[in-house]
Amino acid sequence: MSHSESLTLPAAPPSPAFNPARLLPALLTALILLLCVTPFLLVIAIAFGQKIEGAGWEWAFTFANFQRFFVGAGWPEDVTYLYLQRLWYSLYYAVIASLLAVLTAFPFTLCLTRLSRRAQSRWLVFILASLSLSEVFVVMGWDVLFSNRSGLPMVFRETGLTDWLKANGLFDLLREWGLASPRNVKFKTSAFATVMCMAYLVWPYAVILLYPALSRLDQSQIEAARTMGATPRQVLTTVILPAVRLPLTGAVLLLFVFLLGTYVAVTVFAEPAKQTTAISVYESVRGSTLNAPFGAAQAVILLVTAATFLGLGQLLMLRGRP
Amino acid sequence: MSNLSRRTLLKNTAGLAAASAVIGTPLIAQDRTLKIGSYGGYFENSFKEHVYPAFTEATGIAVESVTQPNSSDWLVTMQQATAAGSVPADLSLYARDTMIKASRLGGMLAKLDMSAIPAAEGLDSYFVFEDGTGPIGVGAMSWFTAMVINPDEVGPPASWAEFWDSEKYEASLGISKLYNSHFLDIVAATFFEGEATFATDEGIIALIEKAAELKPNVALWWSAESQMEQSMKNADVIGGLYYLDVSNLMAADGFPIQAVFPKEGNPQDYGSWCLSALSDKGAEAAEFINFSSDPAIQALMSRKIGTAPLLEQSKTDLTDEEFAFVSGTPSIKPAYEAYLDKETFMKEAWDKMLAGA
Repeated sequence: MSHSESLTLPAAPPSPAFNPARLLPALLTALILLLCVTPFLLVIAIAFGQKIEGAGWEWAFTFANFQRFFVGAGWPEDVTYLYLQRLWYSLYYAVIASLLAVLTAFPFTLCLTRLSRRAQSRWLVFILASLSLSEVFVVMGWDVLFSNRSGLPMVFRETGLTDWLKANGLFDLLREWGLASPRNVKFKTSAFATVMCMAYLVWPYAVILLYPALSRLDQSQIEAARTMGATPRQVLTTVILPAVRLPLTGAVLLLFVFLLGTYVAVTVFAEPAKQTTAISVYESVRGSTLNAPFGAAQAVILLVTAATFLGLGQLLMLRGRP
Repeated sequence: MSNLSRRTLLKNTAGLAAASAVIGTPLIAQDRTLKIGSYGGYFENSFKEHVYPAFTEATGIAVESVTQPNSSDWLVTMQQATAAGSVPADLSLYARDTMIKASRLGGMLAKLDMSAIPAAEGLDSYFVFEDGTGPIGVGAMSWFTAMVINPDEVGPPASWAEFWDSEKYEASLGISKLYNSHFLDIVAATFFEGEATFATDEGIIALIEKAAELKPNVALWWSAESQMEQSMKNADVIGGLYYLDVSNLMAADGFPIQAVFPKEGNPQDYGSWCLSALSDKGAEAAEFINFSSDPAIQALMSRKIGTAPLLEQSKTDLTDEEFAFVSGTPSIKPAYEAYLDKETFMKEAWDKMLAGA
């Protein structure tokens, strides 16, 4: 927007007393502030609102919503860590899925940078295009993949793998893990399915985040190391990894923050006992209870958590800098 | 305050419209329209195909269909729209608890002119809801949440209690994840004293503890209708709680699903037509509500949409078979007031149970 505005500027007649060119950046800043900061401030303000039982909510200034997050609504007679547990699962999925995505995207991207220019651009276009798939479609795809009649469980049954598992007693182990019903293996609902789908969701981002750093790797250093007799493994740990440590950490952090808010994948693949703060926020705001203040309080806490982790990551990276 | 002035403005415009109606009647008569909200998808399509055209033919009022997601989410949308001064629909469908909530919120629903809705007298009086201001909702149609099973896998249980049998149902059921999806009403009717159990906190805790015993048998706690539909079709679950009308339609399409009325019955909920406080289409809305309360139209909806009629079978021309498709006995009446008055307590206790926290 600022770009197009500045392009049209020279056409405006210059005025010595009043220079619109000076005013424009200020106006744009004000507009951006209004559009970005107002909703943000509203959420924070609503977080202090008060719920009216059986109806809606009203503006107020109470810390009850934040208190409820840590100890539950029935405190002090009754204490629950339900919402902390959900926050824990938010972190749990986001950490594992972002690590998984970056760890698998890393070798792929490394190989990608060795390909010809032409092949590289084809791959990149494909990966960029796949980003346009919405979360809903990705989840639908994985849902079919995990479904009893059409997905992996069918493959297990048809290939005789299920019967083999049953014959060898491994099936009961899967049942204990919640990955099987008495009839067949089942992958939903499970933390496994949730993490897989989440990692898949951000995998293209991981490639795109790592690509610039890996394609700028100094090939002569690698060649020198190889000439001096280093094994490929030594090259990886002593040359490549130290060089891309910062982009790697940065990618994990960014994907982690992105995944904290995942909604559809968690709704579909995680059992209620393992659902996240994002789900809880949605249920408070849109669900049947109309408890926007509590939803807003949870959103604020999620935001603070994300900021804390980003801050810690920043610290870690600064300290690790040579 | 701004609402008030807006309402006065609306009244004045309505007055103007009435005045011009006298002068240019033919033109205005052709322009009569009404925006009606209904739950999207198959449900809304059936209304568009079968009910609205019949209404337009009978009254000359054109209907514009508005998609609402479900009544509780729609309430948020309508609340915000009302505050903003312009609403997307004149008439909306609200479930009873949402309607009570809207009336407690205040300023959202207009009083209905019952003298223009004579057909509503034929309905069971339970379905005309009055709050302090007067009648604000007239039943549109009702629906059952029913016990469903996959007949290829298991036989129909005689009681809900059988779902607690892990020998038969381990990791095999699909139950709604929402605390107010009337599963607790089922537990109350099956193992306790029904609605009376909701009177005390201890009673509610006992209900939730009984529900917790079912957890090993639940493979899917569904939050969206489509999740349960897919899971039944895919045999990810072999039984559970689902809407009677959709189950019967799925069965008619050849999917392995059978709706069952066990001895305790199934929970019956119903939707009401409610008029937005900002709407100036009160007269058209009354005509539509009157139209939909007619026994013939109630029967039409049962046949074409699969909803249960709000009057006795004898008042309609539904055959026993048609009636059994959409309704059944006994019916469990949900403890609406308890769900609203103890909202936070019940939701948190239920969520704690689900989360094992």
